[in-house]
Amino acid sequence: MSAVRKKGFDGWRWAGRLVLALMLLYTVVPMAWMVLTSLKTQFAAMQFPPQWWPKEPTLANYTRLLDPRGRIGGDFLLYFWNSFYVSFVTTVLGIIVAVPAAYAFSRFRFPGRNLLFFAVLVRNMFPAVIFLMPLFLLMRWLGLVGTHMSLILTYLTFGLPLSIWLLKGFYDNIPVQLEQAARMDGATRFQAFVLIVMPLSTPGIIATSIFAFIGAWNEYLYAATFINRQERMTLPVGIQRFFTEFATDWPGLMAATFLMSVPVVVMFLILQKYFVKALTEGAVKS
Amino acid sequence: MSVVSAPGASAVPPRQTHVVARMVRHRYDYLYIMPAMVVMMVVIAYPIYYTIELSFFRTPINLQMRDKVWTGTDNYVQLLNSSAFHRVTWNTFVWTAVSTILAFFLGLITALALQREFIGRGVFRALLLIPFVVSAVAASYVWRWLYHSDFGVFGAAAMAMGLTDRPINFIDNTRTVLASLIVVNVWRDFSFGMIMIMAGLQTVPEQLLRAAQVDGANAWQRFWHVTAPHLKNVSMVTVLLLMVSNFNAFIIPWIMTGGGPAGASDIWITHIYQIAFGRQRWGLAAAYAVVVFVLMMMLGYVYVKILTRGDERRPE
Repeated sequence: MSAVRKKGFDGWRWAGRLVLALMLLYTVVPMAWMVLTSLKTQFAAMQFPPQWWPKEPTLANYTRLLDPRGRIGGDFLLYFWNSFYVSFVTTVLGIIVAVPAAYAFSRFRFPGRNLLFFAVLVRNMFPAVIFLMPLFLLMRWLGLVGTHMSLILTYLTFGLPLSIWLLKGFYDNIPVQLEQAARMDGATRFQAFVLIVMPLSTPGIIATSIFAFIGAWNEYLYAATFINRQERMTLPVGIQRFFTEFATDWPGLMAATFLMSVPVVVMFLILQKYFVKALTEGAVKS
Repeated sequence: MSVVSAPGASAVPPRQTHVVARMVRHRYDYLYIMPAMVVMMVVIAYPIYYTIELSFFRTPINLQMRDKVWTGTDNYVQLLNSSAFHRVTWNTFVWTAVSTILAFFLGLITALALQREFIGRGVFRALLLIPFVVSAVAASYVWRWLYHSDFGVFGAAAMAMGLTDRPINFIDNTRTVLASLIVVNVWRDFSFGMIMIMAGLQTVPEQLLRAAQVDGANAWQRFWHVTAPHLKNVSMVTVLLLMVSNFNAFIIPWIMTGGGPAGASDIWITHIYQIAFGRQRWGLAAAYAVVVFVLMMMLGYVYVKILTRGDERRPE
């Protein structure tokens, strides 16, 4: 965009800088205060006026959370593992189901295609709470209440519509001629799909996986309703337990929210270029 | 899976074929979407049916369905006549409208400000995107601490700057609570608006901008006549997605206030949750959910109309 730049004082440019500065403040101040608080002792955090900068910074809150032998650390690490397990399985299953469906929606013109695509998209419209009671009953009937499987099944359907939509955008942009060439060389349509289309859509699959993983990692409503046993809780629910049990331990809670955010933020920052690309291909060009 | 494809799949089929004939010809296409459809049917279609059924009955607290009592439209009548429903609906519309407009507008101007190349742009972009992936639960706790009525950093900062003489009570005050929660919601949502607009900006042809500049268009004219038309579609999609997610919001009010004080931050989903899992009035909660569901369906219709517009030009 350097071509579109004026000489001399440029009001728009300064307006842009101001916007960025203010938005950065809005974004970063809460995160910074979270980190600063997590480095304080309980006593230091409960002062007024507050210590703007921790006078005696300590990592005690983190070591306590990450110590597998302690009661709090043991629980926290267990929740962490539960969250990871549920999110990972959800992501893998979601990709296996979404890839063929997205391909079909992109390539084939079968009767009912629009209706089905509508159904896929409309899933996003429904308030999660609508599904809460019936799914609870369904899981009870299947004997899955309190298991990780109940969460995985539910998250799978949360992620699917968006996954299918994003992936469809990628397939729309892969030239049909590539497959046609493979078909002429004797490949079946399914072989063409697996050998030609799948490798080309790897960025889309990565982006879709991030989305599915983050969605599952952060989900709260179903995790809070379905999981009744303490040792099976995922982080968003487990963290709540810390809060109510140690009602005023704000530094400990801030350390826990920080640790909970680290995996998804790091993953997202590393892979964000795929993510922007997926949105460009999927959402925008439609 | 059979690998022999239907012969007519890539050829142009004659128009006006009978639908069954077309379904038979495309029969193998359905194999690709079957896994997705089976999952959807079990976990989506069945619950929708079930919720509608529940809404016409009075069901015992333990959810034993065989003991339910048919009550006709009682639940709906009771819901639509309750003052709580009207108050909560008003809250929900304020919450959704203000959150959506702010998140979209802030996302738009941030994306535009990030258009220009400058040193450290990547770092800026990454930092601004972080709220989008931080879990709403984590964000709610962090903001609750920021808003804390005794030790909150905002109250202390306002005092240090001489704006007030005592810490501000943000979320225990019926007049400020909804606005305070909207600030948190926008904090999480504006990055979504930003990332969508950034994606949209990549579709604006640079030659057009350059041509406009050569023709003497100023920055505002270039934005309004060249960039804005290219952003129209993505903006509509973004606004609709934001609206839907705000109508369905639950976590931020639930964790920060539980809908309080005195219901001042109660919105649809937190209210339904209280009716269902707090008061265990399953039938009433189901009727509530159906009403919300119908409203969302109308929104969904608009949403898909926009998304699939121009999609049918592709040959069969």
